[in-house]
Amino acid sequence: MFSFVSKRLSLMMMTKVCCFQRNFSSALPPLVPVKLPSKMETHFWYVLPDEVKSESLLSQYSELLSPREKKNLYHMQGDQFKKSALLARVLVRTTIARYQTNCQVNPRSLKFKKTIYGKPEVDWENGDKWCPPPLHFNISHTSSLVACGVTVNVPIGIDVEEKQRRLKNKILAFAKRYFSPDEVKLLTAISDPEIQRQEFIKLWTLKEAYVKAVGRGFSAAPFNTFTIRARVVKMGGFHHFDTQHSEASEIVVESSDDPENLTRNWQFALLDLAGSHYAAICIEKENSAGGEAGVPMRLTVWKTIPFVEDERVSGTGAVVPISGLIKQL
Amino acid sequence: MATFSAITSVIFAPSLKPSLSNNVIAERTSNLKMAIGGWRKNRFPSLKTNRFCVSCSAKPETVQKVCEIVRRQLALPAETELTSESKFSALGADSLDTVEIVMSLEEEFGIGVEEENSQNITTVQEAADLIEKLVEKKAA
Repeated sequence: MFSFVSKRLSLMMMTKVCCFQRNFSSALPPLVPVKLPSKMETHFWYVLPDEVKSESLLSQYSELLSPREKKNLYHMQGDQFKKSALLARVLVRTTIARYQTNCQVNPRSLKFKKTIYGKPEVDWENGDKWCPPPLHFNISHTSSLVACGVTVNVPIGIDVEEKQRRLKNKILAFAKRYFSPDEVKLLTAISDPEIQRQEFIKLWTLKEAYVKAVGRGFSAAPFNTFTIRARVVKMGGFHHFDTQHSEASEIVVESSDDPENLTRNWQFALLDLAGSHYAAICIEKENSAGGEAGVPMRLTVWKTIPFVEDERVSGTGAVVPISGLIKQL
Repeated sequence: MATFSAITSVIFAPSLKPSLSNNVIAERTSNLKMAIGGWRKNRFPSLKTNRFCVSCSAKPETVQKVCEIVRRQLALPAETELTSESKFSALGADSLDTVEIVMSLEEEFGIGVEEENSQNITTVQEAADLIEKLVEKKAA
């Protein structure tokens, strides 16, 4: 009897991730499926840990994790931090699982691997007949907000930071050590310390998002070798932007190491999220749009409690664009 | 990384100096050459094992100082256990925290950490070992 069971288990394990059994977990309802983002479209999902209060739900969430993820979680210190770390894994697993519209994917069975540079990606590891979607993702979290960005065909990097985040070191000393000379100049010119702090945090999130989108770690793009700044763009008349000013500002990156090449290909958005966080998104432009200026990032934002509730919040007060060419959908 | 360190330490003496307090086993050829030379001498200094990493550890005072800075940066409550093996990521440090920690360490010890190296610092021990290596290099 036991050999039969073990044979059946190994047979089950050999089947593809896709088209698995429908009952993922005895109590959790199915995830609401979502269509993949189209080209030049970005999906952004976030969870507010404070809204996830049910202990039984958190326990069910833990069951979705791989053994290694569970082990990592076990070693983490601090309840709030542990909770947001758990939600980060749950968010990435459930978000990716939503996009498998042809056959349902069990979020628990997703595997992840890292590129040679250490950037996480999905390990589809299936038979040759199945073509995995060209889906890219990136996650970021603080103890009070957990986010996952998704694109198709192009790399994405995101970073979220609490608006009230304070540095232990002095801002200008930190900037002189780690930011580019132009950025230091910009920050030094701000006389109000609170505004300076806010601009610092915004700049940090943009720089982080860029490095994460490029996906080669800090050594490939040390912070002080590139400058991120806003550049005013004349409205072409065809695009409608969400920024409040009559002239839109585009965020651009300029590299001192590589002045021509890489930097024209990246598009940024900076948002005030849920009133509490700055969120930066960086995606690579598709080749066809590479040279064209003024094309907005088409962005859809959902607030979610996986398996419980999804709320599309793009275009509401929860998502306030700060800079970058953005079209909320 | 730990496995490599263990192998090199067991086969070759990790340090030429009599004291235990120096030299990280880094995955670099120069260290390996030094280590071979050390083994040919008659000395075989006693090794301080550190679970998975057989190496000569940084001075306890350095580790202590690193712990203090980490504790301050992350505003850890007193009951949070902090040892040389503590991983920054497990303590709740995000990338901004880690960079701030590195900067505080640079100021405290009067050293400069290259960005590639700062990426490799994931535990208190690794930070302490790198600090000692850089302090030594600076003194040389």
